[in-house]
Amino acid sequence: MTRYLVHRLLQLVPVLLLISVIIFVMMHVLPGDPAQLILSGAEGGAAGPERLAELRAEMGLDDPLPVQYFRFLSGALVGDFGESIRFRVPVSDLLMDRFASTMTLAVAGLCWSMLIGVPLGMAAAVRQNGWIDAVAMTMSYLGAAMPVYWLGLLFILFFSFDLGWFPPAGGGSIRHLVLPSLTLGLISAGIVARLVRSSMIETLQEDYIRTGRAKGLGEAALLWRHGLKNALIPVVTMLGLQFGGMLAGAVVTETVFSRPGIGRLVVDAILSKDYPLVQGCVLFLAFIYLCVNLFVDVLYAWLDPRIRYEK
Amino acid sequence: MKSEVAVAPADTAAIPRQPGWIRRLLRNKGALVGLAILFGWIFVAIFAPMIAPYDPTLTVARARQAPSAEFWFGTDQLGRDLVSRVLYGSRISLSLGLISVTLGAIPGITLGLLAGFYGGWVDTVISRFVDALLAFPSILLALLVIATLGPSLQNVMVAVGVATVPEFARLTRGSVLAIKALPYVDAARVVGAKGLRIMVLHILRNANAPIVVLATLQVGAAILIGAGLSFLGLGAQPPTPEWGLISAEGRQVLRKAWWISTFPGLAILSVVIACNLVGDGLRSALDPKMRNS
Repeated sequence: MTRYLVHRLLQLVPVLLLISVIIFVMMHVLPGDPAQLILSGAEGGAAGPERLAELRAEMGLDDPLPVQYFRFLSGALVGDFGESIRFRVPVSDLLMDRFASTMTLAVAGLCWSMLIGVPLGMAAAVRQNGWIDAVAMTMSYLGAAMPVYWLGLLFILFFSFDLGWFPPAGGGSIRHLVLPSLTLGLISAGIVARLVRSSMIETLQEDYIRTGRAKGLGEAALLWRHGLKNALIPVVTMLGLQFGGMLAGAVVTETVFSRPGIGRLVVDAILSKDYPLVQGCVLFLAFIYLCVNLFVDVLYAWLDPRIRYEK
Repeated sequence: MKSEVAVAPADTAAIPRQPGWIRRLLRNKGALVGLAILFGWIFVAIFAPMIAPYDPTLTVARARQAPSAEFWFGTDQLGRDLVSRVLYGSRISLSLGLISVTLGAIPGITLGLLAGFYGGWVDTVISRFVDALLAFPSILLALLVIATLGPSLQNVMVAVGVATVPEFARLTRGSVLAIKALPYVDAARVVGAKGLRIMVLHILRNANAPIVVLATLQVGAAILIGAGLSFLGLGAQPPTPEWGLISAEGRQVLRKAWWISTFPGLAILSVVIACNLVGDGLRSALDPKMRNS
């Protein structure tokens, strides 16, 4: 297990390096001069060429690209993403500030999608082609086709304005978390249900289930103890992907519910042309996403010994 | 001479000869519904100026009127007719879906074709690059592109296109690898066909089924991401009647006027569901493995 873990950790290094190159190249080589962007945005557009040259020198934009990349990378390695142009504070401070809020949202969303998706998928598998099955299928179709922001707005209309159960905006308390996380969770619950359903149907045809039934185990024990445990293995692999969906959804959801977080931060950064902040946010989100996927892989190897020994 | 006419059964004349997959697609109820909705929206998009009751960018009535017999979807915060805005919005969303998928598919398919066909270091370089992009939630990629190019509808198309490149590349590479091993490719080589000819004529033409399925599903996904980006203010700018943007404008007055944000969302939902239904239908019509299930 330790060898597997080390192996996977080492695999992370080249991927992160490549991602840092991609981010760097996108921000520096594509048309659009960051100094020009800053001047036209933050400083009102009427800046002369002297100011532009000064700013370029200040930001180190006149250095050769490899030098600039090395500076960016060595900074990022120790968590230094430079200073936000708009807020005039280190990008890392802003990220740390908002990190907890976004993670809470993503994890809560994932919990909802499991809490709704797993039982729904199980029920659909047990009663194939029944009405629960139809509900699960409908939910997965709707979830895959519904704009996240739109579901969020519907929730605000219904649960905040009509019923007054939860606040429509803001962050901080558990009550603020319910609607945004439920929005994210419901969008992916249908996909989870679909996967649990097909995996469960396959598992229930296994020999050991028949053996269990033959030796007189109750249907509940078969389903929950023997069926679910094995049916969940493929679901675990999808957790990482789902988490990526949660992060992507957080970018939108945080705006809908005016909730502080990294998603809101990166959108504001793009709108205000705060390019060190954009770079920092994207690299940080990618890093989190990779770490979560690594964790999921390790969890998978732990659950299913076949994976561990293959490599 | 006489017998030839007699041999043909009478009813074959009524059924036009179609490749099998079209018939299978049309037998799929979900796909039919999807096609009907899609064609409906395409019709609306083409004839929007004739169908829409008002100009989508002009104030025609009192602001924030609730849906009524005159204004079916109500009016927005500036007194523009919401039906007209939603109808015109189909032009933007449909073209966004088509253009961005084309922008992503062409480089994606090319990369996948090169990687799968040549193998060796070409494959290593392309595959590492594609893997790194896939290890990256596509929304981040789209956000990066918009951060560099600036917020606008055109740039959203580019951004969503770029974000779909790795998917097309991976899928194409896989199909090419499978087809490259087939005997008829060797046969083509033996009779003297050159690399490009084999790649395009013999491999790509036979690898197109999964690519068509992916493209159909991606049109829906692109419309969804595009609307999301416009909702965030990173895409279409006012007064464009873009569905995501209309919802964002309605969000400001959500408590007083629920209809502004609600109707454009329904429009997106119907288009994306239609794309997914057609995509799923195409998948089972084109994939020989799923034919019996």
